[in-house]
Amino acid sequence: MRATAAEETQSGTLVLLCLASWAIPGAGHLWLGRRTKGLIFLIALPLMFAIGLALRGRLFPFDLSEPLVGLAAVADLGIGITYFIASALGYGRGEVRAVTYEYGNAFLIVAGLLNLLVVIDAYDVAVGRK
Amino acid sequence: MQSHLVLLAVFAFFVSLVFAVIAKDNPREQIRLGGLMFAGFLGSAIVLGWLMYPLPL
Repeated sequence: MRATAAEETQSGTLVLLCLASWAIPGAGHLWLGRRTKGLIFLIALPLMFAIGLALRGRLFPFDLSEPLVGLAAVADLGIGITYFIASALGYGRGEVRAVTYEYGNAFLIVAGLLNLLVVIDAYDVAVGRK
Repeated sequence: MQSHLVLLAVFAFFVSLVFAVIAKDNPREQIRLGGLMFAGFLGSAIVLGWLMYPLPL
């Protein structure tokens, strides 16, 4: 069955919405008019990520020979454009000897994973499931 | 900042906040769920911490 033009337009908008929501935490909710939720995500998730960096956590490399490192890298990337800004500025090298190293990793990884949940929530709102 | 308890509380705060905002639409329900989750995180961490206190035996 072929998709109609309206359905194709809608799916294109959905892809854009999900990309925006991933790149800038909360952008999807702001786009959909859920201003309070969007602002909370916009502040809380990058702040959580920044705390992870301040605690000397590591932005893991995409090393597929080490499955757990690769998965951590995918989770880190979940935070969107903030990941690339932090990498470009030289943050996230990780200080293994720091007492807070593991805490930093937990903050970085969980911030990325929570943002992926936020993307899924924005998608659900857009398709009318919520 | 190196206090494990404070870092645990900060972590629990952010996770509870995001989950509550995702799960509920009403501000009162969000505060209720967020508070319950935050208390659950802290309480379970403290209880597990004390349970592990004698380890290794």
